[in-house]
Amino acid sequence: MPVIVIASPKGGAGKSTTAVLLGTELAHAGAPVTMLDCDPNRSLTLWSQRGTVPAGIEVLSGVTEAEIVRTIKPLDQDGQVVIVDLEGVASRLVSRAISQADLVITPMRATTLDATIGARALALIAEEEETLDRRIPHAVVFTMTKGVRSKQHVGIEHSLRRQGVDLIEPALMERVAFSALFEFGGDLRSMPPQGNMEAAIGNAAGFAQAVYGRLVGEPGR
Amino acid sequence: MSEERPFAIDLGRLKTREKPSDAASLRAADERAAGLGFVEREPQGKRGRKPSPRTDQVHAKVLPPIATEIAAEARRRGVVQGVLIEEMWQLYKDKSGI
Repeated sequence: MPVIVIASPKGGAGKSTTAVLLGTELAHAGAPVTMLDCDPNRSLTLWSQRGTVPAGIEVLSGVTEAEIVRTIKPLDQDGQVVIVDLEGVASRLVSRAISQADLVITPMRATTLDATIGARALALIAEEEETLDRRIPHAVVFTMTKGVRSKQHVGIEHSLRRQGVDLIEPALMERVAFSALFEFGGDLRSMPPQGNMEAAIGNAAGFAQAVYGRLVGEPGR
Repeated sequence: MSEERPFAIDLGRLKTREKPSDAASLRAADERAAGLGFVEREPQGKRGRKPSPRTDQVHAKVLPPIATEIAAEARRRGVVQGVLIEEMWQLYKDKSGI
């Protein structure tokens, strides 16, 4: 099954939110999803305990550096998706998870600090590709974006594109509904309305569809 | 909220790919990652001997042949080794006039 690793050594970049949105939207679209919570802060686990975990999703908690590869291996089968949520630090756990990835997504706020630290994840992927002699597809998604893009956002985006970095569109906007997932659990369709729900669902589904396109080799899908 | 699916997934197209997971490959990846600062960060287990559940202390170490003899005697009497050491200490105090 495709293994999607959500990785950035920067804390607060939106990794767990990205993981939950992706997992719940892929499950809603019909994929069986296993989510691995490798973050000692247990964000995914807390989300799973807040409400009913949506159908088709299983959450495995407390996966450590020593366990990560042997946890992924038996789950790595056709027709399903594994999503790995990591802590926002530069650790061996991150590098081992990336070694088993079919796609690495680096969430990044459109700030210079996020871009600088997030770039370390991209450098690590390049090193692992060389060491393991295999291509590791990777992409960046901007998180917590505003309706109007700042000059800084546009500049970072141009810089990443110039370096050949794959940017996932749509970006994940700053939305009350996204952060409320960790208050209510479940998914965007099951929670009490928070702001513009149709726009939030459209944003999350569009993002998940763009990721699915990359998994099946159709990035423009 | 709408239960309509914004898009549908064709499970037949979600294919797994072979990834190296042998010890040598992981070790090589670990070494390259360490060069970029991605190092082991998980808390290590406490090393060394565990404190005694009876005294909550770590026992002093003695030479291996003596340790074997003390252990054998403790087993024979059905007591923990600390009991023998307490008796030895009492004998030592009696002998030394402490």
